[in-house]
Amino acid sequence: MVTKTEESQLNKLENQVENGGGGAWEYLCLARKLKARRSDKVLKYGLSILNDSRKRSSLGPDEWTLYEQVAVAAMDCHALDVAKDCISALQKKFPESKRVGRLEAMLLEAKGSWEDAEAAYSSLLEDNPFDQVIHKRRVAIAKAQGNISAAIEWLNKYLEIFMADHDAWRELAEIYVSLQMYKQAAFCYEELILSQPTVPLYHLAYADVLYTLGGLENLQTAKKYYSSTIDLSGGKNNRALFGICLCTSAISQLARGRNREDKDSSSDLPSLASAALEKEYKLHASDKLSVLTSTLKCLRVSS
Amino acid sequence: MGLGFTVGVIGVLILGHAAYSTIQYRSLLKITEEEFSGPPMEVVLELLVGLLFCMWAALTVPGKFLSVHPHSDENRVVSLPENVDFMIFNHRGRAFPSEVGLKLKH
Repeated sequence: MVTKTEESQLNKLENQVENGGGGAWEYLCLARKLKARRSDKVLKYGLSILNDSRKRSSLGPDEWTLYEQVAVAAMDCHALDVAKDCISALQKKFPESKRVGRLEAMLLEAKGSWEDAEAAYSSLLEDNPFDQVIHKRRVAIAKAQGNISAAIEWLNKYLEIFMADHDAWRELAEIYVSLQMYKQAAFCYEELILSQPTVPLYHLAYADVLYTLGGLENLQTAKKYYSSTIDLSGGKNNRALFGICLCTSAISQLARGRNREDKDSSSDLPSLASAALEKEYKLHASDKLSVLTSTLKCLRVSS
Repeated sequence: MGLGFTVGVIGVLILGHAAYSTIQYRSLLKITEEEFSGPPMEVVLELLVGLLFCMWAALTVPGKFLSVHPHSDENRVVSLPENVDFMIFNHRGRAFPSEVGLKLKH
């Protein structure tokens, strides 16, 4: 989970390195730790360290981790010859390594030769049938080829064995959302919330899916999860604040035909949410404040 | 940090001195064969002063305390890490090479 301090630190380091102020190695370490996908910067500054033999030798044993990081970044930027060079350097140092074998298979994937990559992964799996990363790469191959149903099948098989892998649950939820299978996506998000209840972004995604499904119970549950997101993120999550206003307006629209239940006990929640939103907009985007106030007024009027 | 460290050392020395005075007081009482009810008033004051010094040093020397609240402004979760295990490489960025001439030079 990337916290606000870590994100601001990463951006500060990035600015510093871009403007020529050094600190490239700290930037690369932080990017690796936070798993941020900034491949173009990683490639540029990683190569500048690796090409300078003095800086390279000062890294010590971390040099090989840097090779791996630069190889993956090069594959992401489609600089395949750079990736090939890094991988051959790693191979010279670690000849029989599984990790390097995995990188080679990823290079085949990046080149687009899917069958060769599949064959490489299958041979790696024969030696070690419980390697989680290789199973996940097979799902990625299916996804990259556009074969989403095969990706879902592989991912479900993977999750039957490794049920605690929350990255995989998250990936499955996103795939289901992209296919508009919202009920299954809601199930995946429920698993995520069960295993990591203090991450507000899972609550937010779950509430979004419930709001999309619609229906009175789903909207009420979505409102509860938007509130829990606001609670867990200290009130700074604008999307959850908007979610509460939209949910309230949708619920009152649905409940207009039926008897008006006395849910006025929670009627100060949407007004509090809109007040918080207006305060945020005044602080950060004051020229859009008028748009916000008119939108909020429409939401309350139409209810 | 230097000041905090010095104050801490002084506090420990004061406590040591208080312990020494108490032991001396006890041996004096053994000579005059009286009961040892507790250390004299001055030693108690000295103990309190030593305690304050040591506590102040313990709080100042380690440096800035970090926040523990998960929803405070520094600690709140802003984004999730990218799902690196499922990263695919045939995205649209393939058509835009970032910089020409990037090479590993050995």
